[in-house]
Amino acid sequence: MSAIPAELLHIIIGLVAVAASVGLIGLVMVWVERKVAGHIQRRPGPYEVGPSGVLQPLCDALKLVGKQLFMPTGADPILFWLAPVLAFLPVLLLFLPLPVGDGLMALDVNLGLLLILAFSGLAVLSVLLAGWASNNKYGLLGAARAVAQSVAYEIPLLLSVLAVSFVAGSLDLAQVVKGQGTWPWNWNIMTQPLAFIIYFVSALGETNRAPFDLPEAESELTAGFHTEYSGMGFGMFFLAEYANMVVVCSVATALFLGGWHGPVLPGPLWFVLKVSALMLLMVFARWTYPRVRFDQLLVINWKWLLPLAVANLLLTAFFVKLAQFA
Amino acid sequence: MENLAKFVFGFYALIILSGSILAVGAKSLVRAMVGLIATLLGVAGMYMLLNAQFLALMQILIYVGAVCVLIFFAIMLTRADAGGEEAESAPLRQNLLALTAVLSVGGILGWLVMTRPQATTGVPTEVPIEQMGLGLLGPYGLAFELISVVLLVSMAGAVLLAWERRNGK
Repeated sequence: MSAIPAELLHIIIGLVAVAASVGLIGLVMVWVERKVAGHIQRRPGPYEVGPSGVLQPLCDALKLVGKQLFMPTGADPILFWLAPVLAFLPVLLLFLPLPVGDGLMALDVNLGLLLILAFSGLAVLSVLLAGWASNNKYGLLGAARAVAQSVAYEIPLLLSVLAVSFVAGSLDLAQVVKGQGTWPWNWNIMTQPLAFIIYFVSALGETNRAPFDLPEAESELTAGFHTEYSGMGFGMFFLAEYANMVVVCSVATALFLGGWHGPVLPGPLWFVLKVSALMLLMVFARWTYPRVRFDQLLVINWKWLLPLAVANLLLTAFFVKLAQFA
Repeated sequence: MENLAKFVFGFYALIILSGSILAVGAKSLVRAMVGLIATLLGVAGMYMLLNAQFLALMQILIYVGAVCVLIFFAIMLTRADAGGEEAESAPLRQNLLALTAVLSVGGILGWLVMTRPQATTGVPTEVPIEQMGLGLLGPYGLAFELISVVLLVSMAGAVLLAWERRNGK
């Protein structure tokens, strides 16, 4: 019997680590989100189960797993159950090329950034399928909103990412991180501040986070595309949302905030700290800003983000070329 | 390793075949689109197998992430539900014509492949994207531009179709 190839082993270990951390991140984020929401609204948030309510998400998860799975009459049985699986599976893949530390990544490919961008497109499809297959008006409306939103916000996102990779000259996340230095003034955010802002706003739009959570707007559409999902069907969408947030923040960290670089503390710790700070920013944004109207959503994208991103890209290309001649 | 490659090839071929059969034969338009997505993903896998990672990821980014989403949007706007006009099976004559088309193209291609076997070139090497970009703008510039003309033609065709329908009302 021949030995198992080392690369395959590496990927399998990486996948197991990713799957475990996605579950853990989900639990922690539920607690953080409820606590932050509570304090912003001047109430304590969960505090009964465990110290400061840290065990509350565990109880919630157990409840979700134990709930009965329902399917509405007239729903498409295959597509209805395909949607949550399609939402969750690609997310595991998105974690593989993230450079947590120097050389510490599950899958070392030189097109890591492109891999993340390509497979994150599958998330939209899962939202669409969920909304369509539910045979529910709210679901369908949520899905229709999701298309217009994510097709629009993907463009400035790609353009802002492209500006950074122009400067770094690579689509490999590890290479982009290596091009940055230890201190904050050596990071890409200093040379590309506009790209960072565009990236962050578009990322909020792409992950359907408030203030851009129109596909699931609770006060208008009940729960939008996942109205009809109960138990772990809903749980998968929920986990996928938090996992997508982590991926988006990790990419932002690697592209703009110097990745694992930082003084004194070890690299991976810096990476986790930066990602956590960005996640907290996303949570604060959700509880601070009211949901935008649909026309406002499209105006922000097509009249502001897109022209700014194109201008930023052109300027970047110009200066990169200039630097080559100098 | 070679056996693994053969197994993976068979796996992707199976995905492509079953996906395309679903895309053509499904009664509901959305299911047909899921079949199309499976086919496109299978083709992306084939590119991966040929060590053309950039092409594979672009296939997913553009076809699955953008084109299929737009097709879905079109389906949603037409409200083609499962009991609609499209759900009825096509007449026999149409089926026969489709079969002839498949057999003629597939037959010619299959005959060519069987009678003129190419020598295997060994493990394919990955082309760096920088070289690919220079190639597309340099020696293969004409082919690259011609492809964009094809896109232009399809866009013009779509506009023309929409125009006629509006005139008909």
